[in-house]
Amino acid sequence: MKALVAIKLTYDVNQIKFERDGTPILDSCPKVMGEADKCAVEEAVRLKKKAGAEIMAVTIGSSKEHYRILRDAYAMGVDKSVIVRTENPERLDSLTIAKIIASLNNKLGPFDVIFVGSGASDTHSSVIGPMLASILGYKLLANSDKILFEDGKFIVISTLEDGQYKIATNPPVIITVTSEANEPRIPTIKDILRSKRKPIDEISLENLDVKTKELTLKNLTRYVVPRKRIKIDATENVEEAVDRLLKMLREEGVI
Amino acid sequence: MVNYEFSEDEIRFRDSVREFAKRYIEPRWIEIDNKGKIPLDLIKRMGDQGLFAIPVPEEYDGMGGTMVMAAIAVEEIAYYDPSVAVAVYALLNNGWPLALALFGQEDAKLEILPKVASGDAFFGIASTEPQGGSDVAGTKTVAKKMGNKWIVNGEKSFISGVREVQELPEGGGFFLVAKTEKAVWSHKKITTFALIPKWNGKLKPGWKPTIYDEIGRHGISTGGFTLENFEIEDKYRIGDENKGFYLVLQGFNIARTLVAAATIGSARWALDRAKEWLTTRKLFQGRPIASFEGISFKFAELYTELEAARYFVYKAAWMIDNTYLTKDPKFKPYDLNLPVAMAKLKAPETTTRIYEEVLKWFGAYAYTKDCNLYRGWLGTFSYTIGAEGAQNIMRYIIARDVLGSEAVRNVWVKEEE
Repeated sequence: MKALVAIKLTYDVNQIKFERDGTPILDSCPKVMGEADKCAVEEAVRLKKKAGAEIMAVTIGSSKEHYRILRDAYAMGVDKSVIVRTENPERLDSLTIAKIIASLNNKLGPFDVIFVGSGASDTHSSVIGPMLASILGYKLLANSDKILFEDGKFIVISTLEDGQYKIATNPPVIITVTSEANEPRIPTIKDILRSKRKPIDEISLENLDVKTKELTLKNLTRYVVPRKRIKIDATENVEEAVDRLLKMLREEGVI
Repeated sequence: MVNYEFSEDEIRFRDSVREFAKRYIEPRWIEIDNKGKIPLDLIKRMGDQGLFAIPVPEEYDGMGGTMVMAAIAVEEIAYYDPSVAVAVYALLNNGWPLALALFGQEDAKLEILPKVASGDAFFGIASTEPQGGSDVAGTKTVAKKMGNKWIVNGEKSFISGVREVQELPEGGGFFLVAKTEKAVWSHKKITTFALIPKWNGKLKPGWKPTIYDEIGRHGISTGGFTLENFEIEDKYRIGDENKGFYLVLQGFNIARTLVAAATIGSARWALDRAKEWLTTRKLFQGRPIASFEGISFKFAELYTELEAARYFVYKAAWMIDNTYLTKDPKFKPYDLNLPVAMAKLKAPETTTRIYEEVLKWFGAYAYTKDCNLYRGWLGTFSYTIGAEGAQNIMRYIIARDVLGSEAVRNVWVKEEE
């Protein structure tokens, strides 16, 4: 069995500082492998034991930090790693990223399973997994909080608004892993020291058969959900105020 | 070239220790301090994570890391257990195994070090005696050679890990300082051994331990023991006969650096608590108390002092790496005395000053047991008193190295040769 796990370099959300107006200060924020991505690597590495799988990690970019997160994946136990080199990975749109991973599947795979984090710690668009499944025609197991591999089948538990779903399917499959799925292993000093001697294969983005499309978005500093304030006076007629409140909440779809 | 940056490996290692300590130590540190015991499962987990024998070569199942990495690990552990019990446990199991790896005999190293590295055994230091710890040349414990064995008699006190040696599955022991001739005050009659009173899970005869009741860092035990005709095989002798004085002092240099690392970890925690408190605690019509310069200037001073102490610690660790691990001929063991003494003088004293100030900023709340600052204060205060060398010994070493041994020699008693 061959497995691919795609990881993204994101801001360490635990260390983000903010300006007084709430704008995040990104320049000085350390970058790390995303939290859900770490859980995806953990699931992939567990599959080594469960199914004797060979695990490859991939990331897109070219900075020192991109290489570092691949070494972090090595320290967690992946067998191979590849970097798709491009200068400004943060300017690539989601569909392009999905196409890049799909084209890697054709070039270095096919992989029986591709793990991705259910959402990146920064943008959290959650679309790479579904797009990949659609491009490759693989089945999709999205938002997996628990992943099992039994009798050649992947079984996942996914928690959605209306309850928990248990879904089983045969490979090939795309699995998007939530940060609830597991507690990722912490590499030991030996893992860390060994990981730096492991090779990282390089593929230039131009050598992949992918038409890249850059984001038209210029700069996104902050996204604020507008808040609606409605005042209900409950000083005189409480019952009437309660009725109005319930009516409004119903109208807004809250209850 | 001066470089004040940790390498990528060191940063990745620090992050891994931080994650480990946050996950497994922080939720339990108060329970550890209250119960006066580090749970054995935590010790085993730390062994599995590779937090012991970090600078010990891989051929002895050590981690093949460096002293800088050991200091990083100890500092991070002390941040998440500011009582420093877990950090002290870790530092002993990093420093003294390295001393054994550097100076011990091959058979003993292959036998002892893997079990210490895995967390199944403990290896600390047994130097101090009831008459005093600073006077190593005045050691009274006597080892007499009988064929291929040594028969040891004497008493050791204020020894860390006495209970842990008894409770760990494999046992463990200490880097023992003994005299080859009774009642002779001489640094030329000191021989060192790996004393392992409990090994392979079995206690050896002739070792009688006691446990002391201390005021801080309760998680790690401190005790004493007597040795009555305790037999030590010659393979456990560390270094040549009568050359032990020089070896234990080198071991002290390693351990002192890590003691200093533990105290700065705890001090950093205290200052972080203070940062939170000073910026959110509001008095006098909503002013955060950080807005009073009497407080913020003091904070600035202490923050600076802590950073200075950290430089001392990592410089000493870096010098130890150059001396023993990369074996750069420019670095000599003797040259470590000064930087290590400065680190061990500066870090615990700075830490005590930080706690005393932070406690006052927290007001009456600091004097309650709900405010856990007292645990860090009492735990680290142990290292302002002594442990791996009293502070006045550090001052003596610094004065001797800078002013010259002739100038300060009047404090020495003439040796009986």
